[in-house]
Amino acid sequence: MIVNEFGEIGIDNDLIVDADEEVFEMNNGCICCTVRGDLIRIIEGLMKRNGQFDAIIIETTGLADPAPVAQTFFVDEDVQARASLDAIVTVVDAKHILLRLDDSHEAEEQIAFADIILLNKTDLVTPQGLEEVKQRIRAINNQARLFETINAQIPLDQVLGLGAFDLDRILQIEPDFLGEDEHEHDDQITSVSLHSERPLDPENFHNWISEITSTRGQDLLRTKGIIAFPNEPKRFVVQGVHMLLSGDLQDRTWNEGEPRISRLVFIGRNLDGDELAREFAALAA
Amino acid sequence: MIALEQDPLVERQGRRFDLDASVTSIHWVDDTAWLACGDGIVRRISVEGDYKPLAAHQGAILSAAADPDGGALLTGGDDGRVLRLARDGSAEEVGHFGRYWIEHLVASPKSGIIVAGVGKEAVVWLRGQRDAAHRFQFASTIGGLALDGKGKRLAATHYGGASLLFAASASSGNIALKWAGSHLGCTLSADGSYLVSAMQETGLHGWKLPQKTDIAMRGYKAKTRSFSWSHRNKWLATGGDSSAILWPFEGKTGPVGKRPLLLGASESLVTKVAFHPRLDFLAAGYADGSVALLSTADDISINVEKPVSRAISALSWRADGAMLAWGSEQGSAGLLEVDPVTRMALAPYRQQPG
Repeated sequence: MIVNEFGEIGIDNDLIVDADEEVFEMNNGCICCTVRGDLIRIIEGLMKRNGQFDAIIIETTGLADPAPVAQTFFVDEDVQARASLDAIVTVVDAKHILLRLDDSHEAEEQIAFADIILLNKTDLVTPQGLEEVKQRIRAINNQARLFETINAQIPLDQVLGLGAFDLDRILQIEPDFLGEDEHEHDDQITSVSLHSERPLDPENFHNWISEITSTRGQDLLRTKGIIAFPNEPKRFVVQGVHMLLSGDLQDRTWNEGEPRISRLVFIGRNLDGDELAREFAALAA
Repeated sequence: MIALEQDPLVERQGRRFDLDASVTSIHWVDDTAWLACGDGIVRRISVEGDYKPLAAHQGAILSAAADPDGGALLTGGDDGRVLRLARDGSAEEVGHFGRYWIEHLVASPKSGIIVAGVGKEAVVWLRGQRDAAHRFQFASTIGGLALDGKGKRLAATHYGGASLLFAASASSGNIALKWAGSHLGCTLSADGSYLVSAMQETGLHGWKLPQKTDIAMRGYKAKTRSFSWSHRNKWLATGGDSSAILWPFEGKTGPVGKRPLLLGASESLVTKVAFHPRLDFLAAGYADGSVALLSTADDISINVEKPVSRAISALSWRADGAMLAWGSEQGSAGLLEVDPVTRMALAPYRQQPG
């Protein structure tokens, strides 16, 4: 769905594109590198319209795996050159989500992948029920921005055009906000937030993050981080989806007086927070 | 490489046009260049400076092909329609496919067959018939369509390989050509003995027919989006690298075990290639908007257009080979008269036919 001049005119029905969901394995040896072939094609086609629209909204089915959608923006060079992923927004039904989380893998993954979560239908649950749902969401993904909504009412500027995927916001994370879940089971998705007040050794960091993403990529849904290296005025930003990892020095430098704290978040399965924290601490220069 | 230092040839022997829309393809109708564009308009231009816009689609024109009977252009749009645009400017709807995009359109003047790629279906019109005759269904969305020189054999690429059919027959058998990965555009050699497809992972995959022998053609920096056969099918020129990559298709085994010829090396990617229709030289369009003429015999390159805009997205010779047209993603376009002296410089006279 393409939104034309959002907010003023609303959605122009002529610009809604139907596509058959086609998840492709990339034939490049990376076992979890799946992409959405339909998305690659559509973005390419839309670019021929040259500036006739402001943004592209991709609405997946409730059962879609968000990974191939996000990975398409990493893997396909043409898509990467022409478009950037602004944010992954997940709408959560406050009344039914606990049941869905128990019986559906996809519900959990869609929360895990989110940059923004709209916790909707909050008027249909009790305050205690709402609190329980929030705890559960936070245990899966402790760093998405969460809005409580009724009828999904929210100003568009809170969900569109945010650059949420560019991770700038990661500095706002409360590092110790890691909800403890009582009925944790083996393949439950959790978030692990790591931070270090000492700059990291670049080589050790690269080796460590490459090792983790290549050996445990299937378990890792999202990786995001901003890293400080010694004597490097620019911030190093890393982000990943499963095994795909991209990292680069950002144009933005550390501000004068800004604490140069390296932060890294993993969202995935079978994550041992204590072990990762120990390893991360050992990377200091 | 011998690059002839000079002002771009377009300034002496051609004309530039500045369009407001991305050029998606160029075809020649009655010796006039028709530029299909991303805003749904076809622009007809001449080297004398004529400029005639023809509003066609609500949205981008994604595909186009010269009408088999001449005098008209067939276009497919993201408005789900296939149109026939006649020389008098009239538009006739050939087909309408709801919210599906018409991403592929091929036609053959020899057989009169028209085929449109609509999602997972190839829709076929037979010569002189108003309504589509039949449809072929594939397991995934069509990445590319190609007809052979006679316009009989139809190749369709898709996820996991390609399919080969007889376009005119509703009950045609389907020869499955399998190769892992997602296949995009494709081309059939005129005699139908080779099918070559471009892969999502970059590189080409070829099949020698009818044996179905696999041929891998790799090493590309980007996806290949342009194929062009030389006039006697000696070479297949391809885009997707910082040189035009020409694979030799002479002899019984084609490019198997042979190295390609690399022409027109640049810091910029070659996005479009077009062989001269009668001689062994080609035009190449680059990602920086430049255009060059490249000789296959002497490694000579002539600068046609300097880097003025975004990637060249369409490049086409008039059938007599005396005029070249190009267009870019940003809407820069040009026409060049290629005089006999230039042709001679690029294709030494020993190669001239006759």
